[in-house]
Amino acid sequence: MDKSEGKQLGRRNFMKVAIASIGGVIGAAIGLPAIPYIMGPALQKESDDWIQLGSISKVELNIPTLFKKTIETQTGWIDTEEEISAYVLTSNGQDYVVMSNVCTHLACRVRWIPEQDSFFCPCHNGVFAKDGAVVAGPPPRPLDRFESKVEDGVIFIKRG
Amino acid sequence: MLAKIGDWLDERFSWREVWAAIFERKVPHVNWFYTLGSATLFVAINQAITGILLTLYYVPTPDHAYDSVVYITTQLPFGWLIRGLHHWGASAMVVLTVLHLLRVFYFGAYKYPREATWITGIILLLIVIGFGFTGYLLPWDQKSFWATTVGTQIIGLAPFVGDWMLRIARGGRDISAVTLARFFGTHVWILPATLAALVGIHLYLVIRIGITGVPKKDE
Ligand code: HEM
Repeated sequence: MDKSEGKQLGRRNFMKVAIASIGGVIGAAIGLPAIPYIMGPALQKESDDWIQLGSISKVELNIPTLFKKTIETQTGWIDTEEEISAYVLTSNGQDYVVMSNVCTHLACRVRWIPEQDSFFCPCHNGVFAKDGAVVAGPPPRPLDRFESKVEDGVIFIKRG
Repeated sequence: MLAKIGDWLDERFSWREVWAAIFERKVPHVNWFYTLGSATLFVAINQAITGILLTLYYVPTPDHAYDSVVYITTQLPFGWLIRGLHHWGASAMVVLTVLHLLRVFYFGAYKYPREATWITGIILLLIVIGFGFTGYLLPWDQKSFWATTVGTQIIGLAPFVGDWMLRIARGGRDISAVTLARFFGTHVWILPATLAALVGIHLYLVIRIGITGVPKKDE
């Protein structure tokens, strides 16, 4: 009686361990691949090619000038066009600064208002100076700048 | 610690009683054929998990359905695995469900008092076939398109109401964006919801009534 009961318990425990480990292996076989499967698109690196914005001849001294450039991109399974907007500023006609038009607060788009001599973000009234410094409102830091270069009177930027 | 949480929960949910009723119930001495129902349930769970993962990327519109499937299989890490499991699982589901049905049939397990278990089982079989039929269209490739053309055309052969049912199935005269969207909705909402409800009833009956033993010679 005692003996057979001991045997029963041993068998029961063996089954428990076997079921738990086989179940664990099967669970891991689906669960672990699911993680990179879900995160895949988030981990994709953006291309760091130079993007040609256009001729700098239209940029006047000390006035942020808007450049728009449409580039072809692939998002997931769709080939789309994406419009990149950037403000180009120069104080001496030699050195150029290219600023993103994305507000550093919560990513609405800022606009240059010539009458007020500043950038304005309509979402939460963020105000930036012409060099991108924060003047008023909630933005935590100046407008972001692109890495840029000028070649033969044409300005290029890199997104990073 | 874990035992404490278990006790706390048991005091309010009495979950140990439920656990015992499900996993510690008495069963007759049976054979491996009796595992076919559980095997079907296991694959059904696999289909649910991999299917949910597929919907994170799949889109049911004619202009992008195929591209999204190619994206899943070739671009995403382990996308081939998730899709492969769902693809082969679909066939396994049909095979296992039918084998389980045959086990129940040959062992006479459909008789009183298990008629309701059998009837919910038949509806489950129809749902499993429905899953296969609607899922086949979703990749929106040549094979999908023509298989569904033929499959829905067959619906049209029914006397009197055929043409009417064909139009309902396709959402119009031809296979179109409307067909793809309704097949998708059926595949991911209507069928899973009914399957879950019926599996619930089916298993409730299996546990409540208890399973049959292996029939003896003179039975
Ligand atoms: C999604 C499909 C189904 C699932 C997940 C499922 C699941 C199960 C499970 C786990 C059992 C316990 C006993 C065993 O595994 O043999 C069972 C029993 C049973 N099933 Fe199914 N089943 C399905 C489809 C069907 C079909 C198509 C039929 C027949 C038309 C059916 C009829 C029965 C009957 C009558 C029993 C009771 C058997 C007995 O008491 O020995 N089931 N089912």
